[in-house]
Formats: sequence, structure tokens, C-alpha cells
Amino acid sequence: MKKRAIALAMSAIMMTATMAACTSQETPPAAGAPTEAAPENNTGAEPTEAEVVEVAKADDSAVGNLIAATTDTVKLVVWASEEDQELTQDLINKFEAQYPEVKFDIQLGACSESTAKDNVLSDPTAAADVFAFADDQINDLVNAGALQEVAAAYTYDVSKENVAGSVAAATVNGKVYAYPMTADNGYFLYYNKSVFSEDDIKSLDKMVEVAGAADTQIGFELANAWYLFGFFSAQGTDLYARLAADGVTNECNWNEGVGVDIANAILGYVDTGVFVKAADDASAVSNMKDGKYAAIVNGTWSAAAISEALGDDYGAAKLPTFTAGDKEYQMSSFAGYKLIGVNPHSAYVGWSMLLAEYLTNEESQVARFEARGLGPANIKAASSETVKADPAIAAIAAQAEYATPQRIGGNFWDPAKSLGEILGNGNPDGTDVQTLLDNAVEGINAPVSAN
Amino acid sequence: MAKKRKQTEEVVKRDLLKEVGEGIKKYFTDFGTAVNKGDWGTRASLIVMGAGFIARKQFAKGILITLVQIMYFIVFAVYSVPYLTKFGTLGTVQMEQTFDPVTMQQTTNNYDNSFLILIHSMISLFLLVVFVMYYIHNMKAAYKVEKDAWAGRHVNNILEDIADMVGKKFYISLLTLPTIGIVLMNILPILVLVAIAFTNYDQNHMPPASLFTWVGFDNFKALISSGGMTITFGYAFRKVLGWTLVWAVLATFTNFIGGIVLAVLINSKGVKLKKMWRSLFVIAIAVPQFVTLILVRNFFRDDGIVNTLCANAGITDFFKSIGLLGANMNFIPFLTSKGWAKVMIVLINIWVGIPYQMLIATGVLMNAPQDQLESARIDGASHTQIFWKITVPYILVVQGPALITDFVRNINNFNVIYLLTQDVYTTTDQMLANSNAKEVDLLVTWLFRLTNEYYNYKMASVIGIIVFIICVLFTLVSYSKLMAGGREEDYQI
Repeated sequence: MKKRAIALAMSAIMMTATMAACTSQETPPAAGAPTEAAPENNTGAEPTEAEVVEVAKADDSAVGNLIAATTDTVKLVVWASEEDQELTQDLINKFEAQYPEVKFDIQLGACSESTAKDNVLSDPTAAADVFAFADDQINDLVNAGALQEVAAAYTYDVSKENVAGSVAAATVNGKVYAYPMTADNGYFLYYNKSVFSEDDIKSLDKMVEVAGAADTQIGFELANAWYLFGFFSAQGTDLYARLAADGVTNECNWNEGVGVDIANAILGYVDTGVFVKAADDASAVSNMKDGKYAAIVNGTWSAAAISEALGDDYGAAKLPTFTAGDKEYQMSSFAGYKLIGVNPHSAYVGWSMLLAEYLTNEESQVARFEARGLGPANIKAASSETVKADPAIAAIAAQAEYATPQRIGGNFWDPAKSLGEILGNGNPDGTDVQTLLDNAVEGINAPVSAN
Repeated sequence: MAKKRKQTEEVVKRDLLKEVGEGIKKYFTDFGTAVNKGDWGTRASLIVMGAGFIARKQFAKGILITLVQIMYFIVFAVYSVPYLTKFGTLGTVQMEQTFDPVTMQQTTNNYDNSFLILIHSMISLFLLVVFVMYYIHNMKAAYKVEKDAWAGRHVNNILEDIADMVGKKFYISLLTLPTIGIVLMNILPILVLVAIAFTNYDQNHMPPASLFTWVGFDNFKALISSGGMTITFGYAFRKVLGWTLVWAVLATFTNFIGGIVLAVLINSKGVKLKKMWRSLFVIAIAVPQFVTLILVRNFFRDDGIVNTLCANAGITDFFKSIGLLGANMNFIPFLTSKGWAKVMIVLINIWVGIPYQMLIATGVLMNAPQDQLESARIDGASHTQIFWKITVPYILVVQGPALITDFVRNINNFNVIYLLTQDVYTTTDQMLANSNAKEVDLLVTWLFRLTNEYYNYKMASVIGIIVFIICVLFTLVSYSKLMAGGREEDYQI
């Protein structure tokens, strides 16, 4: 008995050494996992009235100072999405070649822009030095101290060379926290030209009529708060769903004014059997390819698949108008951007900032468009003829005018999704529409647990 | 008979309590005796732990123990003290970083990381407890050696002790590694998790950028008081708890009965190719469960392959004609409508779970009391009678503990529910939606979404503790009922 206790104590004491060695790598208990919300890409802010902040241009000698001060190997980790690996590796190689006097060891990891927040926040000190993310995550990242402020620009003017909306999307409380990378992370209309003419797609009423006659359907992910937003926050409705001043809770008034009209309009469209609730992105796109749907609402990430399947019949345009009550409204959308951020816990913040600048400069954004068809945030890159000729990017540019920044708290998604599901099913229980909206708004505006 | 049983049971319980109490009392009185009655050598162990052994000329052992003591003191001073002094506040210095645009260098202040303070304090406290226990034990050991030496009994030297460790006390050496493993992997993380329930560790207090601190029972109050974490929390909690219990009962018993029936069928005399049938079912186990579940989820989507088959075969229309489907439905909402989804989840769970139960039941059946079966047959009992009166009670008794474990496991059966319903099922109950819950959620899956998306670690710990309490209460009650009066003896041969 005695010996056993000694053995226990010995092992406990040996354990001390092991623990002391490994505790610095402890991670918080519940690690991140994919969040609910929009499809793979969420969206961001269009600069309707947001004031665009300028990033000071730093002294030219700064980079020289940094090179002189760097004696050891610069070890960086970069996270880019799975699809972006090859391109990003190319860009990293070019970046390294720019500074032959410095030794780099830059590792590239795969992490989707849509889940970057989860991976970064599970332990910011262990996360990548430079990472790509969708702009809807910027608030949480800044709150958690996981984004380095872009205090100065070194190789190009971050705030002037990118479209104003993208800079606004990278700005929190008057400070720029990230480098705009793409400006195409919203949604618009894909349609089949063999079914619809260019005039048909201007109004949803006409589309439903034409599609009905052609015995096809129009797919819309009603049970997805991200898309449903397009109906309720349509132009001229005075309805909104946005982040409140506290940066955590929401302000939503979908149950006021013409909200009921819009809900009834959706029910009316669903009732035709032509305008249907698509289950999710994958099924919307596959039904579009099969010809079951003649039109869907989706984003640029599906452009390649749809254009390949439809060939000459492939069309993309801004979202149509729809009729609610007796008025016609232009459907709105969330606008979104992908950004590159620098981790303030990086051991080489200076180099990380230079790399982030390089990955988002004009040349890199052009390369990104050419390799992946992603719409550039850089003004010059976006105005090139080839970019403009891309139907999907032209469509998102046309929709941009009606798009709204995606600044919305977590409580928005589930209640709005449930509302969309009920409307998409044609309100089977016959609940009073005003009650449906009241319930949804109550959930969306609910306080976030305090203390 | 029953009364007597109850009496013995109570006696056993009282004895157990008494034993534990006496054990604790003895633990400390032994220490007191050693201090009071020991000679100078033994008492010197109070200060220098190896003194008692050195006084008995066990120099190597005495020095080793003293070294351990010195090592611990150093560890305590260098490692534990800096963290333990901050344990009360979990840190006060917030992280501040300043970037110099000219030199492009970042400077960070010497900040406190609440999470590291918490973890290291927990480790320090744990070490302290282990050391104190070792200290007390050492005192008693020194006294025992003193008595042994005085009575002229043989006292082991260090070589003999070492020989013992690989010889007759080899089990201690063997158990050292697993013990370290359990402490590192289970006990310490659980202690940290429990501690987090009493802090405000959430999205607004995420180390390293910000600090978190102790809030006492506030989180528990928030959970219980009206409102809780979300505006319809009470409603959602009741609904989810209800379905969790219904699910746990259904999942446990369908698998249990299904497994037995399958095992009995395969075991019965007329069946040929027994091994093949058994292997076929076992193949289902070989495929990782999450792969199976995600595949099955895709099969049963609204526009999935099963729905296409059903539509082509006219099953969808048939369901419509008998009123199982609404007139305007052109698909079967296997995983998207409340009722269908619940039934499908239970059915799919039967499919993935039965093979395990079948294997266990096969083993149990092979050891069934043949004499009883034989005599029942001679007495002219039918197959059904034998099955219900002998086989089932026998299996129930043998597998009772396993059933309880299964039940608890099903309460926490994250995989089946989450993988089958995530991204597929949308609730139309707005009260549930307002609390991020769904009709098909278990407490764990709901907890996962509530906490994971909002990094609400404190509430995750609180709900975790509550689920743990529910499971413990259930297990204790059902064990004592099931094992009441040692019913298993009825079936022992």
C-alpha cells in the first residue's frame, strides 16, 4: 500500500515537469466549428453613407528600416481557402523574391474564409499571422483583439486603390483593420436565357408568369436568412435588420410598415408553385443545371458550375423587382467582401503587413481574377475589360447599388431562417402573418446574454 | 422475502457510509498517532521528509524522498506561486499592443492571460493536494518503519523496494502510466471546465486580448431564472429536455430489443449461413459512423435519391392518398418535417446501432442457462413463452448495467442527431428558433450551437455540469433499482 502511494506521488511529481513544458499550448475547451448563417460566403458593407477612413502612407524608409532590423529567418503562417492554395503559394513566392536580402519561411495552410473566425478565435496566439476572412466576421475578430490595425500603408494606398465599399467593410469604429481582397461576395440572379428574355428578368411577376408557362421553376433559398433579407430590406420599404450600436444585438423592424405586405407577397409567389423554396446552395445549383429551375438567386462561387452547364443560355443579372401590396420594390441583397487580416500576436507584424499588402495589391487581385474568377476590390483591376465582361461580376456590380452592408448580430440567423421556412412552406398552420413577423423580430432583436 | 431483501440493502448502505467515514477518520488519526507517538526521527520527518527513513539507516530512500520534497518546494516557489497569487482575480493587467509605423515593430505589454492563470493555478492546486497527501503518507510510513525496526521486523532497503516494483508489486509500475494519463486527460481538464462555469469567460472576455474573472453562481442563476440565455429559454429548455429523454428511451430500447431479436433469429436452429448473416451486419460497424450518417442524410434529403425513388415508385402519391402527406407536397419530408424527422432519426439509429447490440446479445445468449431452458422445454413451454419468461429476463439482468450506460450515452448522442439534422432541418416553431433550438435537438446539440457560435464557454460549462448531474442522478437511481437485492443471483448457476 505504501509503495503504491509513493509511486503515485512520484508520478505526480514527474507530471509537473511535463505539464510545465506543454501548458503554453493549451487551447480553450470548446474549439471552433462551422457557424450557422449564410452559405459558404457571408457578406459585407456597401458604403452607402459610411465614411471611408484613410490609411496614412508611411515613410518610404520604413521598409528599409525593417529589412535592416531583420536578422533572423522570418517565419510566417498564411491561411487561405482550399481553392486559393495554388495561387496564394505563387504570390508568396513572388513576395519572397522581392526581398532577396531577407530569409523567409512562409507556411501556407488551408482555412475557408467563411470559418476563419472560428479557427482564429479558438486561440488567436496560435492562429496564422496572415489570414483571409469574409468581412461579416470583422466585428468579432476586432472585439477579440485578433486583427492588427492597418496603421499605415507601405507599398500601395490601401484606402484609395480599393473600392470605397470594401474599405468601409474593413473598417470598425473609424479604424481600418484589414486589406480588401475581393468584392464579389454577395448574391444576384442567375437565369436561363432559353426561358427568359432580358426584359422578363426585370420583374419577378413576369418571371413567374414566363417560368410557369415554360413549366419550370424559380428557386430561392427562402429558409436562409441571408437571402430572405433581399425581400424584406428591399429598396423603398424602410425596413431594416442591422447591428445595434452596442455591436452585439440587432435592430430589426420587419414587423412594421409594409412588412406584412412583403410576407404576404412571398406567400403569394410560393402559392403559384413556380417560385419555390430551394433547400440549399448545392440543390439550387444542381436543379439549375438540370433545368428544373430556370432561375436561382446565388453568388459568384456558383458561376463556373452554372455557366458550364448552361453554355450559351447562361445569364446573370441584378435581382428582379417584386410586387407587395400594390407597390413594386427592387429586391435588395447583402454585399460582401473578402479581406486579408494580420494577426497582432504575430512575431513579425511588420512583415505580415507587407505580405498582406502584397496579397491584395492590384497585380495580385488581377491574378486572382484570372485564376479563380473572383471579382477584384481594387478599382483599377475591377475596371479592366476582361473583368467587366464576366457576366457574374457584371451582375454583382449592377446589384451593388441596391445592396446593403451585412452588419448583423448572431441572433438574426435562426429566427429569420425559421420565418423563411414557414413562408416557404406556404404558412401551413395558417398563423397570422403579423404574429409570424412579431415572433421573428422578437427573436432577432433579443438581448444577448449579459454578464 | 421482499422485505428481507430491503433490509439487507439498507444495512449494506449504512455499512458503506460508516466505512467511508471511518476510513477518513482513520486516515487523519493515523497521522496524529505518528506525530504524537513517533520518536525524534519520525517527528523530524515533519520538516525533512526523509529523516524518518534516514534514522532507520535507509539512507538512499531518505535522501530520495528529501530530494522530492526539495523539488516540490522549488516547483511551488517558481511555478505555482506566480499563478496562485493571481488566482483570486484571474489577472488584472489587460493586454496592450502598440505598433510603431516607422520601425514596423509591435510592442506588447506584460499582460495577464486569465485562461493560463486558471489552468496553471488548477495544476498547482492539484500538485499541492498530491503533495500534502504524500506528506501525510510519508509520516505514517516513517512511523511504521520505526515500529518495524523496534519490533525487529525486516525493513526493506531501496534495492529490495525496486525489486518489488518489477516483482510482486509490478501492478503499481504498470498502473503509473495510465494514472498519469487519466490525471492529464480527464481530471485536470474537467477541473478547469468546472471552474469556468464560475467565471465570465465568453466572447466579450476572450484571452489573451481581454481578461475574465470569477462571477460566483451568476451563470447558474442566469440559467434558472426567467429568460436564461435567450428570451424563450425556459420554453426551449423544456421542449429539448423532453425530446432528449424520449429519444434516449426510444434509442436505447429499440436498439436493445432489435439486437436481441436479430441475435435470436440468427441463432435459431433453422437458419443457415449464420456466420455470413452476422458478418453482413457487422460490416455496418466497420464504416465510420459519421460517414454513414452523412451519406444517409443525403439519401433522405427532400430532393435526395430516396425521394426520387419513392416518387418514381408511386410511394409519394400513395402517402398522399392516405393522408400522410399534404396535397401540395411532391416529396416526403424525411428529415425536414418534425414528425417524419423524429421517426427517421430513431429508425436510422436502429440501423446503425443494432449490429453492436446483436454482437453483445449473441455472446450473452450463448451463455444462457441451458438447464432452465431445457426444463422449460420439457415442461412444454412454447418458444414465445421461453423467450419472454426466461431469455429476456436473463438478458435484462446480465445487460442491465450496459443498458444504463447506453441510456446515458444516448442522452449525449451528439453524432446521430447533429449529423442527420444540421443544415437540413429548419424549425417552424418560432419560439424554439428564437432560442436557436430545433424540435429534434438534444441538450448537447443545442448546447453546442448555443455556445460554439457565440464562444459562450461559461454557459457551456454550466449546461455541461447540469447534464452531468442529470446523468449521475439517473444512473444512481436506476442502478439501485435494477440491482436491488442482488437479483442477478437468481440467474447465477
